Parts: sequence; structure tokens; C-alpha cells
Amino acid sequence: MAGEKSENNQIEKLMDAPVEFFKDGKQFLSKCKKPTGSEYSKIIRAVGFGFIAVGVIGYAIKLIHIPIRYVIV
Amino acid sequence: MAKFSYFITVRLIDVVKPFLPILPEVELPYEKIEFDDRVVYTIFSGLIYLFAQFPLAGIPKDLESNVKDPIYFLRGVFAAEPKTILEFGIFPVIASPLLLQLMAGLRIIKVNFKIQQDRELFQSLTKLFAIFQYIILSNVFIFSGYYGDSLTIAQIFLLNIQLVGAGIFVTLMCEVVDKGFGFTSGAMVINTAVIATNLVADTFGISQITIDTEGHQEPQGSLINLLQGVRAKHKTFVGAIVNAFNRDYLPNLTTTCVVVAIAMAIGYIQNIRIEVPVRSTRARGMNNVYPIRLLHVGSLSVLFSYVCLFYIHILGFILIQLIGKNNADSLICKVLGHYEIVNNILYVPTFPLSSLAPPKSLFGGILEQPISFIAYPLFIVITGIWFACNWQAISGQSARDIAKDFKDQGITLTGRREQNISKELNKIVPVASTTGAAILAAITVLGELLGLKGKAAGMVIGIAGGYSILEIVTLDYQQNGSGSNLGQVLSGQFAL
Repeated sequence: MAGEKSENNQIEKLMDAPVEFFKDGKQFLSKCKKPTGSEYSKIIRAVGFGFIAVGVIGYAIKLIHIPIRYVIV
Repeated sequence: MAKFSYFITVRLIDVVKPFLPILPEVELPYEKIEFDDRVVYTIFSGLIYLFAQFPLAGIPKDLESNVKDPIYFLRGVFAAEPKTILEFGIFPVIASPLLLQLMAGLRIIKVNFKIQQDRELFQSLTKLFAIFQYIILSNVFIFSGYYGDSLTIAQIFLLNIQLVGAGIFVTLMCEVVDKGFGFTSGAMVINTAVIATNLVADTFGISQITIDTEGHQEPQGSLINLLQGVRAKHKTFVGAIVNAFNRDYLPNLTTTCVVVAIAMAIGYIQNIRIEVPVRSTRARGMNNVYPIRLLHVGSLSVLFSYVCLFYIHILGFILIQLIGKNNADSLICKVLGHYEIVNNILYVPTFPLSSLAPPKSLFGGILEQPISFIAYPLFIVITGIWFACNWQAISGQSARDIAKDFKDQGITLTGRREQNISKELNKIVPVASTTGAAILAAITVLGELLGLKGKAAGMVIGIAGGYSILEIVTLDYQQNGSGSNLGQVLSGQFAL
């Protein structure tokens, strides 16, 4: 009987863990400072610009690969 | 028991010792590297990697193997390009330090990081483990028949040289960046560069690919496909637009939109932080805030989940293909499932291995493998949170480490006693890490369940990596970039 009870408790604990985690996270998020609109657009512009620039250079390199493929294989 | 574990630890580190003379090593820079040079090192290591994706020599050009690509949905995360010398990308380079550091942090292998010799041995062990994985993976793929069934010994030798050689090269290139010649870590730089390139190729790619037996061609890039489709004579206007959003053999616009949305979301989440008020202990009235961000462990949690997935699927591939020969009647395949060939290039696992693979498409997936929609998200979220929970404590960014930094810099939390800093921070850092990891995992899963085949996870890691690189470069520029030529050229672009 006692064993059954502790088992039940354990299961309950296991079920509670995600709920607890979710609650903690939500509370944490409400305390957090979110980026403002101008901050956000600045970041998106900087990261986006860098990302696309590197991507375009990288793609140019991949285009060079196409003729190389024909030579090697 | 203690003696036994001691015995094991000694052995694990000492395993490297006989290899030390032949293990190539990058020297630490003798003098401080200029800002411009570091930027060049960083960018070029990414570009060299892209250039190094040569096709494998020694396999027939029109190879028709029965064994297709079993890890297609993991490639986007590890910059792995199929049928090139970088078949496994930087997976070993990422997995090796991640796992070994985690094991050292959890005291499974004991390393005393205060002793220089131990540190050096540990570093060599990491490198050796990475190269070892390249060797194992190469031979698993070679002997599975992935490169053709009847390979001669010369071909096997040639493939080994290429795959392992490229692996060693990449390992060393990452080491160059890691050791202070570049910014952040080599793996992160390479990953970001490759993911950025793939995004551009999938959106603006102009290379024409034959799609049907009639010889119709469509471009790789989704946006270019839309423009070309609207002008094409053999398609109606509406048909072209529908095709641009719907085609599943090449990147479509829907995928592109989802990927961009993920990028925007990550950009936003990167900036969520909690600002702890701090004051100087040396000067009165110097008040400031110290940000602790939501993504305290960055995208490493997603990477860790994918490292686990990679190991599981490679193990599955070894068991099913190498031992079970992918024969649906054999015992192994009855227990683990087998592979089915899809689109003539993909090797899609069946149940139960499929439950840890993201579905190929949303609607097809719900009907065919409903369990994936539960098991796969659970796996990613739980491994992510578990990793974040442990990693924040051992990575040198734990509450204790930040408290020590505070002390060194002469700052303290406003309204708290100096002894309590660590305790106070310990209420914030673990929650931030795990919550951040859970959110990242959720975004990854959401994207993957829409059928992005690894692009969602790739994008999460790529944007998070790009953001950290940019942040560290900007920080270094503010400190050391006064004489930088690059800075003058770009000063108009980045007003961060």
C-alpha cells in the first residue's frame, strides 16, 4: 500500500515537472526585456546583410565548382 | 570503485599519447593578430570549406546504387554535401568537443583543466576522436554499398584517402580559427557560411536542373523559378505560381518563406534578455545593467540534439544496411524497421526508426508516420533542455563564473551583498538556459514538422551562429579596430 502511494507520488511529480518548467519559463519571459522595434530592425538588417553577402560569395564559389566537376569526374 | 574509475580516466587521456608525434597541431599565434587579419581568417575558412566540397573521384559518374542517402535530414545542420569529399561535413568536428567536454564536465572522464599537460592531452584527444569518427563513418558508407556494390580495393583505398583526408583538413582548419587566428569557433563559422550559401542557392540559385523525361528544366532557386515559370511558354500563369509554391523535388517558395520566418524569429529571441542592475564597488554612483540572455547556451542545445540524432541514425544504418542488408524479412529489420527509397535519392526509414526522423512533408507525414509527430519533438525538446541544464553549469558561463568575473571587474549586484552574487545569479542562469533551449527546440521542431528536411534546424543554428560572430566581431572592433582598414570601408554599413 505504502509502495503504491509513493509510486503514485512519483508519477505525480513526473507529471508536474513539465507544468512547473512551463510556469518558470513563462515567469522568466515576463521579466525579460524584449528588443524594441528599432533595435530589432537594426539587428535583422545587420545579420541579414552579412548572411546574404556571405551566401552570395559562397554561391559564386559553388558556381565555379560546376566546370570543375566536369574536369574531375 | 574510486580506484576503478581512476584507472579508466588515466587510460582515456593516455590513449592519445602514442599518437601525439603524428597528430598535426596548429601553433598558437606568437603575437596578437590584427583585427583585419582575424576577419580575413574567419571569412576565408568558411569560403575554403565551400570550395573544398569537391566531388568524389573514383566512383562511376552515373552511379546507380541501391543504397541511398540515409542522413538527408541531418545534412543541413552539419554542412554535409552528399557525394563530395565532405560527405560528413563537420559532424565529427562538432560532435567530438561537444561530447568530450560534456563528459569531462560531468566527471565521466576526469581531466584537470588546471594542469597544462592535461589540457593539451584533452585537446589532442578531441582531435583524435574527430579523425577517428571520420574514418569510421567513411568506411561504414563505403562498405554499405553507398558508393556502389562492387568496389575494388584500389577504389576503397582512394575513397578512404579522400574522405578521411578532407576530414583531417577540416579538423585542422577549425583549429586554426579556434586558436585565435579567427573569431569564435571554426565549426560555427563554417556552419554559418554553408547555411548562408544554401539559403542563397535555394532562393536565387540559377543553375538549371532537368526535372522530367521530356527534358524540361527548372532552376534550383525558388524565387528564380517563380520568375522563370511565369514567363515560360509550356505553363499557364496560375500553374506556374502554384508550381513555384508546391514543387517538392526542388526548393519551393513555401519552404523559403518558412525559413525566412524562422530566421526572423531567431533574430528576435536572440535579443530577449534579463537585465540585472549592477553597480561598481570601486566608484560610487556607477550604475549599469548586466544582460543575461535567454539563449544563454546559444544554439548548442539544438546542435547537441542533432548530434544525438546523427549517432542514432548512423547506428541504425549500420545495423540495418551493413548487418541486415536492408532485407525487410531479416530479424534486425523487423525490430528496427528498414529503408525505403524515395525520389530515387533518399533513404527513408520505416517504423520504428522513423519515429526519430522528421517527416518528409506535413500532410504525408500525419498519415504515414503519426508517431514521429510525438516522438521526434519530444526527443529534440528533452535532449535540448537536458543539455542546456548541464552545459550552463560546466561551460565557463555558469553563475559561479559570472560572479567571479564580477569580482574581477569590481562590480556587484545592486542591493545585494557580494557573497550572495553567485546564489542570486543561480536563480537566473539555469532558468534562462533551459527556457531558451526549450524555445529553440520548439522552433526547430515546428519548422521540421512542416517538412523542411533539416533546413529549419540548419537555419536556427546558422542565424544564431551568424549573430554571435557579428556580435564578437563588433565587440572586438570597438576595442582593437581603431587602425582597421576594413572598418573604414564598412563603417557606413554597420551602425551597431
